[in-house]
Amino acid sequence: MSLAKPQLGKEIRVEEYIIEDEPFYLPQGDEVTLFETAYREKIPVLLKGPTGCGKTRFVEYMAHRLSKPLTVAKPKGKSAADAGNDHHRVPLVTVACHEDLTANDLVGRYLIEEDGTRWIDGPLTRAVRFGGICYLDEVVEARKDTTVLIHPLTDHRRILPMEKRGVILEAAEGFLLVISYNPGYQTALKDLKQSTRQRFISLEFNYPAKELEATIVEHEAGVAPEVAWQLAKLGEKVRNLKEHGLQEGVSTRLLIYTGKLIARGIAPRRACQVAVIWGLSDDPQVQRSISEIVSSIFE
Amino acid sequence: MDTPYRTIAAVEQDLQRFPPAISEEFQRAHEKLAPGVPSEDLLAWAVAGLRIAQQTIRSWEVSAEYYRVSPQVLSVLSFERFSVWAKQGETLSLQSPSIALSYFRVGFECVSILPMDRLAEWTQMGQSLYKGTWKSSIMAARFFDVSPAMLRALSFDDLGRLVQLLETLSHYSSDLAIEALALVADTFPRLEDSRGQLLSLLTVLVEKNWRDVKGTLEGAAKSLPRVDRQHRARFLRLAEQMITAGHSPVAPFVLDTSRAMGQLQPDGQARLLAMGEALIAIEYSVVPEFLRSGPTMLVRLKVPQAEAWFNEGVRLLKENKDAGVAFFRMESSHAEQLLESLSSTVELPKIKELMRMYSRALSGTQVEIASSQELAQKGIGWVSENKPTTEGSTVYLPPVVDQYPQKEENFDWYKVVTTHQVAHLEFDSFTFTYDRPSTLYKKDLRPRLSPKPRPPQITQGQPKPAIALEGWATDMQKFFDIFSERKMALDVFTLVEDGRLDVRVKREYAGIRSAYKRVQGDTLDTRETNEEMRAREMLVEMLVRLSLDQRTGLTIPATYKKEAERIARIAQRTFRHSQTVEDTSEATLRIYAILMSVPNKEVPPEDQEELDQSAENDSDQTGDSDSEDDKFLEQLQKEQQEKNESHQSGDEQESQEGGDAGEDKKYSSPRDVDFRGSFKPELVQLMNKLRQAQGQGQEEEQQQQISSEMLQQLLQNNVEMESPSKGDQQQVASLFANNLMREAGMPPANMPPMGQGPFVHMDEEGGPLEVHEPFSYLYDEWDFRAGDYKPRWCLVREKVVPEGDVGFWRQTVTTYAGLLNQIRRQFEMVVPESFRRIKGQTDGEDFDLDATLEAMIDKRAGITPSDKVYWKRNKVQRDVAVALLLDMSASTAEAIEEGSRSTDDWAAPNDPVEYMTWLRAHRGESGARRQYKRIIDIEKESAVLLMQGLELMDDKYGIYGFSGYGRENVEFSVIKDFHEPLNDNVRRRLDRVTPMHATRMGPAIRHATAKLDAVDAKTKVLFLLSDGRPQDRGYSREGVEKEYAVHDTKRALTEARRKNITPFCLTVDKSGHDYLKTMCQDMGYEVLADIHSLPERLPFLYRRLTV
Ligand SMILES: Nc1ncnc2c1ncn2[C@@H]1O[C@H](COP(=O)(O)OP(=O)(O)OP(=O)(O)O)[C@@H](O)[C@H]1O
Ligand SMILES: [Mg+2]
Repeated sequence: MSLAKPQLGKEIRVEEYIIEDEPFYLPQGDEVTLFETAYREKIPVLLKGPTGCGKTRFVEYMAHRLSKPLTVAKPKGKSAADAGNDHHRVPLVTVACHEDLTANDLVGRYLIEEDGTRWIDGPLTRAVRFGGICYLDEVVEARKDTTVLIHPLTDHRRILPMEKRGVILEAAEGFLLVISYNPGYQTALKDLKQSTRQRFISLEFNYPAKELEATIVEHEAGVAPEVAWQLAKLGEKVRNLKEHGLQEGVSTRLLIYTGKLIARGIAPRRACQVAVIWGLSDDPQVQRSISEIVSSIFE
Repeated sequence: MDTPYRTIAAVEQDLQRFPPAISEEFQRAHEKLAPGVPSEDLLAWAVAGLRIAQQTIRSWEVSAEYYRVSPQVLSVLSFERFSVWAKQGETLSLQSPSIALSYFRVGFECVSILPMDRLAEWTQMGQSLYKGTWKSSIMAARFFDVSPAMLRALSFDDLGRLVQLLETLSHYSSDLAIEALALVADTFPRLEDSRGQLLSLLTVLVEKNWRDVKGTLEGAAKSLPRVDRQHRARFLRLAEQMITAGHSPVAPFVLDTSRAMGQLQPDGQARLLAMGEALIAIEYSVVPEFLRSGPTMLVRLKVPQAEAWFNEGVRLLKENKDAGVAFFRMESSHAEQLLESLSSTVELPKIKELMRMYSRALSGTQVEIASSQELAQKGIGWVSENKPTTEGSTVYLPPVVDQYPQKEENFDWYKVVTTHQVAHLEFDSFTFTYDRPSTLYKKDLRPRLSPKPRPPQITQGQPKPAIALEGWATDMQKFFDIFSERKMALDVFTLVEDGRLDVRVKREYAGIRSAYKRVQGDTLDTRETNEEMRAREMLVEMLVRLSLDQRTGLTIPATYKKEAERIARIAQRTFRHSQTVEDTSEATLRIYAILMSVPNKEVPPEDQEELDQSAENDSDQTGDSDSEDDKFLEQLQKEQQEKNESHQSGDEQESQEGGDAGEDKKYSSPRDVDFRGSFKPELVQLMNKLRQAQGQGQEEEQQQQISSEMLQQLLQNNVEMESPSKGDQQQVASLFANNLMREAGMPPANMPPMGQGPFVHMDEEGGPLEVHEPFSYLYDEWDFRAGDYKPRWCLVREKVVPEGDVGFWRQTVTTYAGLLNQIRRQFEMVVPESFRRIKGQTDGEDFDLDATLEAMIDKRAGITPSDKVYWKRNKVQRDVAVALLLDMSASTAEAIEEGSRSTDDWAAPNDPVEYMTWLRAHRGESGARRQYKRIIDIEKESAVLLMQGLELMDDKYGIYGFSGYGRENVEFSVIKDFHEPLNDNVRRRLDRVTPMHATRMGPAIRHATAKLDAVDAKTKVLFLLSDGRPQDRGYSREGVEKEYAVHDTKRALTEARRKNITPFCLTVDKSGHDYLKTMCQDMGYEVLADIHSLPERLPFLYRRLTV
C-alpha cells in the first residue's frame, strides 16, 4: 500500500494522517492542475462521479502532492500541528457521511470525565484547526444540519461556528473543504441544495477510459497486461448497460478486486462472478447477461 | 311362360298406352337385342317390361329405365340370370317405383361388379332399408344410387355392415340416415385403407351417440387427408376408443386432433397417437387437450425427452387430476419449465432479453433483438426468415436453433451469431466513409478512383431534398459504383469484412473463441466443393474458406495459382491487421482487380490444385507494393471508363464482359455462410441515412419529403436487395421503396393503424399470450384446481386516464372542507412523530440533561451511574410508498342508495352480445343525467381526500384504477404514477375515472405489486378499494366461477406480501363479506357497512397502516 499506515494497534491522530508515499494516481484530464489552483485560491471543491472511480484516491494523491514542494521532511512522529504556520504538509481528514451523521459528529462533543466534562474536537474541527484537507465523502447522505457548518466554511468567512462551546474557529491557512457526491443515486429528496452547490467548483469524474483503466488495474491488482486489458474491456462493456438494466456500471474498484483474485489464482470467470456479476445486480436476467459478457471475454 | 302376349308387336301395341318415352326406349333396346336374342327370350323380356309399366301409374318410368339398360345388362348376364335380376326389379317396383328406378339405373354397373350369388343379397340390402315410408324409400333408392361406388370401395361384408348401421340409424332419424348415406358415399371412396376402421367407429357411434354421426363423418372427411396414410386407421381407432370411453361429441376431437397431427412428420404422428392411446387408459378427458398441444412438445423434444415429459404428466395425472390436466394442456408452469429443460432447442423469445443486453453491452448502442421473420416480413430487401442479419439498429436472429444435440451448443451458436452481428456495429462496418484513409495501405486507391457522379435524378425545381440525389446517397453506394461486377465486388467486400470481424472477435473475446472456432469449423465441414465452379468463382470460394480460417487444401485453378496467392495474401493481411472498414474497402479493390484479370472459365479437375497458406506467417512484412497498386489502379480505371461509356450508350448488361466473351460465364455468388447471415452494407447505410433525414425533417418543416420514386432511383443498382418473388422489377422496386420509407419512420399518409385493437377477444381457452405493444405486461394466473400457475395468462394494458375537468377535484375539496381539515391535522401529526428524541441512549447526538444530572449525582453518591445519558433522534425515518387501486368495474356504477339488486346480477355474462347489453345497463349509460351518487363517485372522493393528506407527507404514492374484459384486456389506468407530482393533470384525470368493464383483480394486483416493487421504500402498502366482486367474463371455467377468481385474487395478494408489501382490502360491498373472507383470511380487510363513511375511513386506515 502506498499510504503511511500506522503499525498494528497504534493510533494516529486525524490531523497527523499525512500521506507519506505518493499514491498511485493516473490523471484522467486536467483535474490535478484545477485542484492545485483551487487549493491555492481556497476554493472548495466538489467531486462528482460514480462510486469507485478514483475520487478518494485523487484526494489522497492531491494531499500528498500539495505537501511535496517542501523537500525537507519533518522528522517522523512530530505532529503537523507543531509546525505552526508551516503548511507544507497537508493532513487529510476523510469523513464518510451517512444518514446518522450530525453536525455534532463533525464539530466535536463533550465527554464525561472524572469530575466534569471535556471537549473533544470532531474531525472537521481538527482539519480547520490544523489546516488540512477535509474530505466529506457522499455529503448528501449526512443530516441536513451539517449544511449549517459547511456554509460559513466555504465562503469568504472560512469560519467554523462551534455552538456548543460558544466560539468561532477561524480556518488555518491550508484548510480546504472537499466534498464528493454521486449524482446517480440521488432522489429529489436528497439532493444538494443550490446554495450549497454554488459554493464549490465541481470536478466531474467518470470511470477511466479503457486504456487508462487497464493500466490502473494492472498496477493496482498486479495482473498481467492481457488480464488487465480484459478487465478494462469488461468494465467498458458492462457500463454500456447502465440505465438498461443496471443502476450503476461496474467500478474500477471492483475491477481491481477481480484482478487481485485472478492474480491469486482464482479462475477469471469465477472471479468475475463473485466480484462483478453478483455485486452489481440481484436480478437473475441481468446477472445472466453480464455473465455472458464475462464468458465472451474470459476463457 | 304364362302370358297372354304371343308377339312382340302385341306388347308394343300395349306399350303405346303409356307415355311415348317408354316405346322409344323399347324400340331402341329391341333393335339392339333382336339380332342376338332368341325370340322366345325376347318376348319374355318385352313382357316383363310391360308388366312393370302396368303396375302403378308411375311405374312406366321404371319400365322405360328397364328397357334402357337391358341391352347392356344382357351383354354381361345370361338370359336366365337376367330374368332373375329383372324379376327382383319388378318386385321392388311393386313396393316403390322410385327404388326400382334406382335399382335399374345402376343395374349394368352393379351386375358387372357383383358375382351372381351376391346379386340377391345386394338387392336384399336395399330392400331392407325400405320400411314402407316415403323417407325410407328415398333412403333405399339412394342406396342403389351409390351402390356402384360403394361396391368398389367396400368389401361386400363391409357394405352389409354399413347397411345395418344405416338401418339402425334410420330408427332414430331417417333424415340423418339419408344424410349419413350421402356423406358415406362421398367419403368412403376417398378413404382407401381406413374404411373398415371408420365403419367400426360409426358402428360404435350409432350405438353410443347417434346424433354425432353426421358431424363425425364430415369431420373425418376433412381430417383424414391431414393424417399420414399409415396412421389413419390408428387415428380412427383412437377416436373410437374415445367414444367408447364416453367422450362426446367426437367430431371436434377428430378435427382438432387431425389438425394437430398435420403439424407433425409421420413418425411424430405415430408417437403422438401412442401417447394418446396411453392416456385414454388413464384419463380420457385429458386426451383431446393433450393431442392439441402435444405437437408443440414433440416438435421441440427428442424422442427420449418427449417420453420423459409425457411420463411426468402421467405421474401428475395419477396423483392429482387437475394438475395433470393443466399439465397436458400446457397451461401449467411446470409443464413449460419441464419442456424447456428437456428441450435442446433454443428459441429466440427465451433468450431475446438476454441477447439484447449482451448486444447492448458489446456495441454500446441501443440494439434491439428481433426474429429474422420480422425483417423478412417488412419487405425491405431481406428475404430469409432464418438468417441472422442486422439493418443497423436491430440484430435479427433465427427464431429457433436446433442444429446441435445439446442445448448448450445451440445456445453457443446463437451467441456466436449474435456476436458476429454485433461486431458489425462494434467494429463499425456501417460507418464506411469514402474519403477516410485506410490504416493498412500507404497509398489508398479510392481517392484516385472517384467514380463519376450520377446525373441529378429529380428534375423539378423543388426545395432541397433531405438526402443527396445528385451523386450518391451513401458512401457505400459511391464505393460500389466503382465496379462493373457489382455483385462480385459486394461478395468480396462481405467476405473480407466478415473475415476481419471474425478475427477481431476472436482476438478481443478470448472467452468465445473456442465456440466461434467450432462454428467456423462446422461451417467449413458442411461446405461441399462445387465441381461446376469456374475460375473466378473458385477463387471467391477460396476467399470464403480463408475467411473461415481454413489454410490448407484450398482448391484453386492451377493456371491462376499466382493470382490465388496474391488474393490470399491481401485477404489474410486484412484479416489480421486491419482496423477499419476502410481497410476492407481497399483490400476489396485489389482483390477485385485480380479477380477481374482471371477469365471466368470452367476449370476441369486436372487443372485444379490445392493451395497451402498455413506457412503464411502473421507478420506485416508483406506490405503493399506501389508497382502492384499502380497496376490495379490502371485496371480499375480502365474498367470504370468502359463502364461509363457503355452507360452512355445505354446497353449496360451486354457489354459487361470484354474480349473473350465466348467462354466467359457470368459470375455467380458462392453459397452463403449461414452463421454470418446476410450483410448489406449499402442498404444499411441508406436506412441510417433515411432515419437521420427523418429525424431532421421533423424539425425543418421546409425540407422536402423524400418520395418513393427518389428511393427507387437510389436502389436502382443495388445488388443487395433480395425479393421473395421474381415479379415485375419495377413493381418490386416501388414496393421496397415504400416499405423502406415506412421503416425509416416516414409512413405514407394512408397507413392503416397498427397494433391490437382494444377488444381483440381471446378465449379463456387457448394458450399463453404475448406482448405486442408497449405498456402491456403479462402475468401468470393461479389455477387453484391445478395448484399451478397458468403462464403468461393475462395481459395488463397500462394507460393513462384521459384528462377531464378539474372541477370534480375542487368540488370534492369544498364539499368535504371540514373532514379535510381533520384529516390534515391527523396527517400532520404523523410527521413530527418520526423526529422525536429518544432518550436513554448509550450514545447519541448530545447529553440528555436530566439523565446526565442523575448520573453525576449517582456517581457522587457512590452508585454506579447509568451510561444511558444521551439522546438521539428517532432513526426510523418515515419511508412509505402506497399504491391505491380503485375498482373501476361496471358494478361500481351502482347507485349507493339502491343496493337492492342481487349480487349475481353483477356477474358479467359470457356471451359477448349479452355482455355489452349488461355493460350498458350497469354503467348506467342508458338513462338521462345521473342524479344519484355511484360507488365509484365515493371511491373518487375518498381518493381526493387521501391524496390531499398524502401531500403533507413525504410518502410516495400512486393512484390507479383497474377493470377489464377478458384475460387479454385487463385495463390498468394510471391516475397518478409514483414518480408524478400531484398537479392539475392528475386532478383532471380523476374526473374521468368512470366505471368500465368487468373486474379481474388478480392481474391488476400483480401489476400494482410490480409497480410498488420498483419503488424504494421501507414500508409498502397496497390499498385495494373495491366493491368486492372479483368476477370477470370468463375469470373462471366450468362453473367454478367465483372460486377461481377468488383464489387467484388471494394468490395475488399473497404474492404481494412476499414482496414485503402490506395489502389491505377495503370493500364497500354489503354482501361482499363472503368473498373477502376467503380472499383475505390472514390479511388486512375491512368491509364498510356504510359507504358514506369511506372518505373518512380511508385516510384513517392509511395512517394506521403506515405508522
Ligand atoms: N485515476 C486513477 N489512478 C489510479 N488509481 C485509480 C484511478 N481511478 C481509480 N483508481 C483505483 O480505483 C480504486 C477506487 O477508487 P476510489 O476509492 O478513489 O473511488 P471513489 O471514487 O472514492 O469511490 P466512492 O465514491 O465509492 O468512494 C482506487 O483504490 C484505485 O485503486
Ligand atoms: Mg471514495
